[in-house]
Amino acid sequence: MITKHHGAARIGVALTSLALVGVLAGCSSKSAQPTTTAPGATTAAQAAGGTYSLWDPYPDRDAKSTWAAAVNVCATTLGITIDRNSGNTGDTVKDLTTAAANLPDVAMVDNPKVSTLADAGLLTTAAENGLDTSAIQANILSAGDMNGKVYGVPVGANTLGLYYNPTVLTAAGVDIASVKDYASLTAAIQKVVDSGHKGITFSAVGTEEGSFQFLPWFWGAKADLTKLDSPEALAALTLWTDWVKKGLAPQSVLTNTQGTSWDEFLTGDFGFAENGSWFQSTADKNGYKVIQIPGINGGAAPAPTGGEFMTIPIQKDTSRYATSAKIIECLANGSAGATALGYVAPTKAGADAQATANTPGANAFWGKAVADAKPRTADNLGTKYSIISEQLYTAVQVALSGGSSPTDALKAAQAAATKNLG
Amino acid sequence: MTRQRRWYTTAIALVITGIMLFPLYWMVNVSLTPRNELRKDPPNLFPIHATFEGYSRVLHEQFPYLGTSLLVGLGTVAITLILAAPAGFALAKLRPMGGSVLNFLLLVAQMIPGIIMAMGFYLIFNNWGMLNTIPGLIIADTTLAVPFAVLIFTAFMIGLPNELIQAARIDGAGHWRTFRSVVLPMSRNSIVTVALFAFLWSWSDFLFASTLNRGGSLQPVTIGIYRYLGNNTQDWNAIMATAVVASVPAAILLVIAQRYVAAGVTAGAVKE
Amino acid sequence: MTTSVTRHQAPADGRTRRGGAAQAASSRGARRRAARRQQLAAWLFIAPVTIYLVMFYAYPLYRNLDLSFRNYTLRSFITGSADFVGLENYRAVLSDPAFGTALWNTVVFTGVSLLFQYAIGLALAVFFFRKFPLATTLRALFLVPWLLPLLVSASVWAWMLNSDSGVINWFLKSIGLAPIYWLTSPNWSLTAVLITNIWIGIPFNLVVLYSGLQAIPDELYEAAALDGASKWATFWRITFPLLRPVSAITLLLGLVYTLKVFDIIWVMTRGGPGDSSMTLAIWSYRLGFGGGSPHLSPAAAVGNVLIVIAFIFGLLYIRAQRKAMNS
Repeated sequence: MITKHHGAARIGVALTSLALVGVLAGCSSKSAQPTTTAPGATTAAQAAGGTYSLWDPYPDRDAKSTWAAAVNVCATTLGITIDRNSGNTGDTVKDLTTAAANLPDVAMVDNPKVSTLADAGLLTTAAENGLDTSAIQANILSAGDMNGKVYGVPVGANTLGLYYNPTVLTAAGVDIASVKDYASLTAAIQKVVDSGHKGITFSAVGTEEGSFQFLPWFWGAKADLTKLDSPEALAALTLWTDWVKKGLAPQSVLTNTQGTSWDEFLTGDFGFAENGSWFQSTADKNGYKVIQIPGINGGAAPAPTGGEFMTIPIQKDTSRYATSAKIIECLANGSAGATALGYVAPTKAGADAQATANTPGANAFWGKAVADAKPRTADNLGTKYSIISEQLYTAVQVALSGGSSPTDALKAAQAAATKNLG
Repeated sequence: MTRQRRWYTTAIALVITGIMLFPLYWMVNVSLTPRNELRKDPPNLFPIHATFEGYSRVLHEQFPYLGTSLLVGLGTVAITLILAAPAGFALAKLRPMGGSVLNFLLLVAQMIPGIIMAMGFYLIFNNWGMLNTIPGLIIADTTLAVPFAVLIFTAFMIGLPNELIQAARIDGAGHWRTFRSVVLPMSRNSIVTVALFAFLWSWSDFLFASTLNRGGSLQPVTIGIYRYLGNNTQDWNAIMATAVVASVPAAILLVIAQRYVAAGVTAGAVKE
Repeated sequence: MTTSVTRHQAPADGRTRRGGAAQAASSRGARRRAARRQQLAAWLFIAPVTIYLVMFYAYPLYRNLDLSFRNYTLRSFITGSADFVGLENYRAVLSDPAFGTALWNTVVFTGVSLLFQYAIGLALAVFFFRKFPLATTLRALFLVPWLLPLLVSASVWAWMLNSDSGVINWFLKSIGLAPIYWLTSPNWSLTAVLITNIWIGIPFNLVVLYSGLQAIPDELYEAAALDGASKWATFWRITFPLLRPVSAITLLLGLVYTLKVFDIIWVMTRGGPGDSSMTLAIWSYRLGFGGGSPHLSPAAAVGNVLIVIAFIFGLLYIRAQRKAMNS
């Protein structure tokens, strides 16, 4: 009978699903999401030490990663449990805003966002929470410094460089020593393209990543973030628009994230790639090399510093601050945390140790590059940076996609920035 | 239709389905592509240098997420049915006063953008301590399906013949008994349709999961995918592999359930 | 769905009564009591859903209205206090030049999506209505795109539409056409997200319209065949008109869902380059969380404008439905 057949099939499906749920959910006895508990800590110690929540933007680093191990070590040292919770880096502000009634003990925030969150009153200052920032290098600490108050400590620093593929360059007859300024770089890229390869890849996406990648060229042309429509800024933007127009850089730069741009470079077709220190170990594996990004008329361009800040959001129970501060100090001292992430350690001692050990992403080259680098919120920009940055990457997008000329795009950007800041 | 014509039609149907599902093929293709060929120009039409790296990561890491998704999906279906079926019956047959207002409100409820719902839920669940819990996520996911479910049930149950219902009432059955013993068995097809929509919408939800379950120890697979979206790098073949693996059990459920969806929204009772 | 709605009142007593006024009165009273009991039962049946609506929809909506009538900064989320500014946010939003762009993009995006999703869905429903081998399996496979989280479907399409390494441009080049900069040109970005949205919306239309087709009695088709009507005429004179109520609800729901579309556009273009693919939903998110600093109150205002637009269409639908019922 039809009815019986239907009924039997439905029961079959229901039983199978229940069985499946049981099996799959059973596998979750091993924790599915990164949670770090201090190994060897007894229940009594856990209860005594307490549990502290840490929000980081590294969902790709699971419980077995070196980062989790670094956090683990700090938890053991302090005799507490650290509950690690990872989310997408782009959602950090949204997640912290939504959770305003329920903030974590330690929140890791992308460095240009620290001033935004501090300005909103979500974060506590070093004076309030007792954080010791004396050992941190000044130029990377300054992104967390607003009006003399320090809101957090970087877990490490990274910056941008110009990677190149020696095989492609040799085939095109380009000598990397000849790349010294904008003109010679453009000429080198042209030679690479003429030899049948692709030129340069970078990220000009419409997010903070795009601004980050544009800044070395912007600052290298001696432009200033408070004057987006200056002739210097125009020179920098024209460099990029010319590359795209002449086919020296692919159209995809407009939608590339830094990760995607690196995937393009890994195809081996490209001669140059602008990307960050965190890819050094992959570069080593593939035989790629790196130089500092050239300035418009020679010398190394000031690149922006990146790297997440460890901050302490406000809590109802202020007695928690002391331990949260100790967690942060533990992760900032030494170099375990920074090395795990591929960053340069925030203390001089840590950075020197990394340079000696030739740690990828923190070797002598990158150590120097970070020391030469400039924080994005420098020049007293503070919270203004986010607003200006939004207009900057919009101008880049509009100019590169052919929607406006670079001059018009920058003029519109400056007007919008002035309006939004005022 | 002659036998030959029917096979002809099948051939056309296969081509159309192939075109429609081409992006899914591409998803499988990317999931098997090694890292250094992901952005190759021109792209590989077939995964010539296939790598199973993505799949091995998924199989080692994603099962708990899949289990959670399944649990949340089934929970959503159960609650949606429990809430919507009686309401559909009442609106269709019992004609409460203000029924049309309720209908309109259910329509308006579907107009609220997801991010607004998510932020509101965060506050509600925070107050009730339901953040990072499975029941909380189930309730949030039901809001995706309940208004639509009531609509489907109402539309379907209006079409049910009144004679059978009246017969039961004459025999002395109360409204609830009538509903349980007469209406529900006749509504098998619309129940399956609603169950399907509720399950699929809950399975693919990302917004509620990421807002309300950020810290939970049991997270659905849509969050599991984020394990491959790091701060600076994105692991695309693992992401696509997760999507492929996540689609397989649900696809099987779909094909099994489609016999019921076939008779769908109306008049299933007559066909039975 | 049936096109006619009949009212049935269960008689309180199936037996006929002969008798005088008293008996008539008591039978009327019994009927009234039964009717009241039915109303009570009806309300008990819909009570759970009503409570559910109030708890889970009314509150977020109220929060959003509150956000839009006050001046919320990030700080307000902590202190809980924000100034009341009345319609200021709405005025700012409506006079912003981006509003015109966003509104236009929303109109184009929604209109074109609905048109193609409906037309293709209907064509497929009619096509699959015939009986041929594998018909039911293939129709089920059409639902598979729905299984994918929007992040994945949007990413796959972004992958395929990539200007340089995308397979669609490879195909265009192989038949001798110039590649199109789908996601990176302001002229094509809206088209690119439209294609993806149409693809994602077809299964819904297919399923609902297919079940609508099933409600049409076979006798009508048999009669038309006997009269020698062509396939096309049968479709236009019988199928399409009888599908009207199903089509109406499909289009209305399609409109409501398309107005809310966010993930697809955000993942593919983020509303860019510039503003070229920015709809009201994207603009709302950009204002709130996308840009330099969160402006949650204007974002809430834009969200409410969206709801109002959907609401107006909802009213139009009710009006059309009532007219259809009375005619």
